[in-house]
Amino acid sequence: MALMTTLRSLRQRRRAEREFDDEAAFHLEMETEANIARGMSREEARLTALRAFGGVVQTREHVRDTRALRVESLWLDVRYAARALMAQRRFTCAAAGMLALAIGLGTAMFTVLDALILRPVPFRDPAQLAHVWMGTDRGGRVVVSPAVLKAWRESAAFEAAESAMSATVLLQVGETVVARESATVTPGIFKMLSNVRTLRGRLFDPTDGRPGEADRVLVSETLWRTVYGSDPAFVGSSITVDGRRSVVIGVLPSDFRFPSADTVLWRPTNLTGRAEMAKAYVRFASNMMRADSLRLATEAARAADGNTAQLRPWVYPLAGLTDSNATQSVRVLAGGVVLVFLVLCANVSGLLLARLTARRREFAMRAALGASRARLLRQALAESALLAALGMAGGAAVAWAFVPVSQQVIPETLLLQTLNPLTLNGRALLMTSAFGVVAILVSGLLPAWLGTSLPAGDSLRVVDRGATETPAARMVGRALVAIEVALACTLLVGATVLTRSFVNMSQADRGLQTDGITTVWLALGSSAATDPAGRAGIARSVEDQLRQLPGVRQVAWSYGLPPHGGMLSFGEWTSDRPGALPINLNLERYVVTPDLFALYQIPIVRGRGFTSSDTFNNVIVSQALASRLWGDADPIGHSFRFIQETFQVVGVAREIHFPSLDPRADLPEFYHPYTDVPSTPMVSLRCEPGCPDAAVIRHRLASSHPTVRVQAAGTVDRKYVAELARPRAAAAVALTFAVFALTATAAGLFSVLSYAVTRRRREFGIRTALGATPRRVRHVVLRDGLIVAAIGLAVGTVFAIPLSGALRSLQYGVTSSDPLSWAIVLATVALTAMAASWFPARSAARLDPIVLLREE
Amino acid sequence: MPKTEYLQGALDLLILRTLALGANHGWGIQQRIRQVSGKALAVSQGSLYPALHRLEAAGLLSSEMSTSENNRKARIYSITAAGRRRLTVETEDWRQFTLAIRRLLQEG
Repeated sequence: MALMTTLRSLRQRRRAEREFDDEAAFHLEMETEANIARGMSREEARLTALRAFGGVVQTREHVRDTRALRVESLWLDVRYAARALMAQRRFTCAAAGMLALAIGLGTAMFTVLDALILRPVPFRDPAQLAHVWMGTDRGGRVVVSPAVLKAWRESAAFEAAESAMSATVLLQVGETVVARESATVTPGIFKMLSNVRTLRGRLFDPTDGRPGEADRVLVSETLWRTVYGSDPAFVGSSITVDGRRSVVIGVLPSDFRFPSADTVLWRPTNLTGRAEMAKAYVRFASNMMRADSLRLATEAARAADGNTAQLRPWVYPLAGLTDSNATQSVRVLAGGVVLVFLVLCANVSGLLLARLTARRREFAMRAALGASRARLLRQALAESALLAALGMAGGAAVAWAFVPVSQQVIPETLLLQTLNPLTLNGRALLMTSAFGVVAILVSGLLPAWLGTSLPAGDSLRVVDRGATETPAARMVGRALVAIEVALACTLLVGATVLTRSFVNMSQADRGLQTDGITTVWLALGSSAATDPAGRAGIARSVEDQLRQLPGVRQVAWSYGLPPHGGMLSFGEWTSDRPGALPINLNLERYVVTPDLFALYQIPIVRGRGFTSSDTFNNVIVSQALASRLWGDADPIGHSFRFIQETFQVVGVAREIHFPSLDPRADLPEFYHPYTDVPSTPMVSLRCEPGCPDAAVIRHRLASSHPTVRVQAAGTVDRKYVAELARPRAAAAVALTFAVFALTATAAGLFSVLSYAVTRRRREFGIRTALGATPRRVRHVVLRDGLIVAAIGLAVGTVFAIPLSGALRSLQYGVTSSDPLSWAIVLATVALTAMAASWFPARSAARLDPIVLLREE
Repeated sequence: MPKTEYLQGALDLLILRTLALGANHGWGIQQRIRQVSGKALAVSQGSLYPALHRLEAAGLLSSEMSTSENNRKARIYSITAAGRRRLTVETEDWRQFTLAIRRLLQEG
């Protein structure tokens, strides 16, 4: 690139010179002939003409400059800038490093934002794809029956309608069993999504999934590589899925993610299985209004299935952040990156300003030799552009390193919501350059303007004395640091609040003991499970199997699993208190065996636990529900109503809590006795020292009870851990940003003060000579630094006010006006400012007036 | 500085005016300025050629290499539309300037 420019400008210059030589020769000949016509001899005429023409060489150079100057001088600027940057390696490294960090962080953040929010799902014409549930206006949503899906395929409403149902499967590889996410799909789904190609083998045929041909699977590249060791003869071989042999017919590339990001195995179905339901994915017909399509779909569904008479289709996106809390946290993250970006740019700006003002002598010299202001500005900007180019290259590398890190830091609950891979791509690199351009404009323009401003009358001699900084540069340098302090302070407020939220939430009272408890959610899918006695028999034999697992001490059955896993009931609840009004409440209900309270160590604080004589309407209420319904009165023996039902209170259990960023997640609860085994019961196991792995439990039950399916298994802790993931990630990211910003700010303050001290050496020398103590001189510099920090803190406080609003969705048990958080912020900023000012102050105090006077 | 600027402005005006009458080469322009001004204005080649190239770079003139009447290679300059517009403006400016000077001189 640079070479091409040089060659082109060289060629242009040569041509301009040659053409001018021709022009000059013509002029001379014309002049000579004119002179001959006036009566001179040929020789005399030629000499006169040459004399009249003057310096051919000078004129030629002058002409050349007007013609070919632009490109060439730009190249000169770049070369000069490169030399200037090479000459100041430490400065160059610091500035380019900071720009690289800023640009890299920005790019990494964009990659995350792009994958999670901006980019649509990676399939053809994604706007036409949707996930459809049937539901009522009140909020209930159900999957559709195969009849409805078939009706939709035949109606004009949709171009295609297919099904994909997720489930956890057990894969047996040699002696080990692993649990992975799979999907049972209708064969046409790949055609509907489009752009799907296998890496090896083929996709499903329409015949796959028919009875007898269902034992075929597609496997993701990830699974093939990680679990099956990239076996080259994998396609056509058979693997064990949920205890059944299945033939692998193809391998799908790892970037194919559907229906969820962690699906790694696909099985075919034609929806003819007993009681099989469809989870509908559709492609809308492109030539029809959305409302018309949905009207047609409603009519088709109602005609096909009488159960859907009251329902209508509800359209959801295929994937992406739909929850406003999650979107908000990603936005806050992006805001944090912007703040760090600005701090780093301000810092580079400060560094550039110091550099350029230190070179005022050079600029004054060039101005005296005839360089215009525009010319000087261009040269100064060439330097910051070159720095930004270095920053961009470094930034791409930083982003490349940061993206895998962000994959670790961002909670899985967020990452699983996108079907896009989180990788650095062309869009992100384009963004890198955009950030680079913004960085030059933000950090380079002001210093270039100030650095090249040479007021009239500011002669070389005055500049040369270099007694002090110019007032403008001094003001701007201080202002930049104050802005950095303000931004860093804002980030620090955020980081403190988020860290305290995380700590508060992880230490919040849970009301139950979760250590060493694993839960298993079963589906008793055999024919014996249709009558209560049959279900009770299966449950007993399952319990026997579970008790034999190593470490299992206690077993309790339930329907609904605490915490935050009960049946949700919302509506009006009325207590039997005289004159009591109905209260609108959302409640969780659990159906539990008597020993569940002991297993979870939930004490019964009043009344009694369940006995075998209790009926379904004898209930134990939680403390929060008791106080909502009866206030301080003893609820034992009282009753309450919900729609048609009346419940008798036999006991009060301690409230269980589910600390969450979403305050709606922590609901009061009450318990029913476990009078009948449901077809999908839950078992809780307490084990010592620890429970067997979920895959072990699945495998055990798969071999002892082939008809019983494990729908989900895992520790209770994981629910709390998952809920803590977001505050933890927010705190970790915010702290990292705050540390970046504080370090950059400290470096900025340090460089501004150090520079000021070198400019004021004479002043400090004279002060010392006149009797100022080193202490006094040190105070002058320290005060300078602390004033800047104080102004920054004041501005940062103002900045933090809108921040508190933005962070509300990520706060738990703390507000941004929290005094402790502010004390931490003030102390940290003050200490940082002290530390950054200390070294320049010390070096000012150590100046020796004798040495200084000798320098003069 | 003001002195050169004044002269430069005048030189541009003279070149544009000369070329407005017809395309010409450098020597021709120089001869014409000398003749028309009654030899009062002599433009040196050292200022003429840079001025020509500068005006061309600014888009007020265009040029091409061609063969002259006596079969020699010569660069022929001609005025562009932008050059004509500039000429009108500059001529008016110059009139006002000389008028002002004349008034000033008549006062005394």
